Amino acid sequence: MSSQFWALAAVGAVVLAAAGLELVRSRLARARALGVAVAPAADPYILYFTGENCSVCRTHQEPALAKLAGVRIDKVDAIAERELADRFHVYTLPTTVVMSPQGRSLHVNYGYAPANKLERQLADARGAGLRASATA
Amino acid sequence: MGISATGVVDHSALKVNQTGIVATVLVAFIGSAFYRPLLVLIPLLAVVLLVGTFAPQLALFKQFYFKVLKPRGIVKPRPVQDRPEPHNFAQGMGGVVLAIASVFLLPLPVVGLALALLVAVLAFVNVAFGFCLGCQIYYQLGRTGLIKAASPTRSSGTTGPF
Repeated sequence: MSSQFWALAAVGAVVLAAAGLELVRSRLARARALGVAVAPAADPYILYFTGENCSVCRTHQEPALAKLAGVRIDKVDAIAERELADRFHVYTLPTTVVMSPQGRSLHVNYGYAPANKLERQLADARGAGLRASATA
Repeated sequence: MGISATGVVDHSALKVNQTGIVATVLVAFIGSAFYRPLLVLIPLLAVVLLVGTFAPQLALFKQFYFKVLKPRGIVKPRPVQDRPEPHNFAQGMGGVVLAIASVFLLPLPVVGLALALLVAVLAFVNVAFGFCLGCQIYYQLGRTGLIKAASPTRSSGTTGPF
């Protein structure tokens, strides 16, 4: 029984360490991806990084994006447009980036982002756009 | 492990395979606490995975899916345009780690059990979250040129790194 306990403890430690490293990596990636500038637009928009065979993109992310009425979605093939994907540190599909009207990334979601989360981020982006136009 | 054309991979077969790995390791892990001979399941699973890697028609869990679960409608097929190589590589890696675990089971049972449990954890992560560490290693090795890996452009789409 003690072998099982120590084995479980060892694997638990490995899993926790891996999860911690992944958390640090994704936070660093998110921090680096924020503020990256792309083309400006009239309204906030979403960069949607996907891949040809990303099943979660089709089963979850695309239905969520379809719920966002009247929002411009720029679909990006993360493999074909490697340079752009690298700028946003995209190592996970799907990845969605909420861009301000000034073309700056405000929110980066690695992995599936539900519609309500994207709505909140878009509202924040609209606010940021208004603040920017007021100060201009 | 060479480059091959995109095919269709039934992801339900992969899920059944991974579930089989998790279940077998858990039975060996928990069961061996009460009945030590159950540890033999770990080397047996290593053999099953390694044989299945090189001869897919002998992959026990996948064949169970194709011959029993799928025809009876117990598990619905989920064909996805995908390449089988990364998944085979991941399965082979699991087999190798379980083979190493088997070597350690008698002299150092903690190490053997920990390695086996790690394989089960990774299989569970694949079932639950669609993240395939073995596939990721396959692409990394391909990128460094150590193996002739198929391009990830047409590989498994997962929630994990592509």
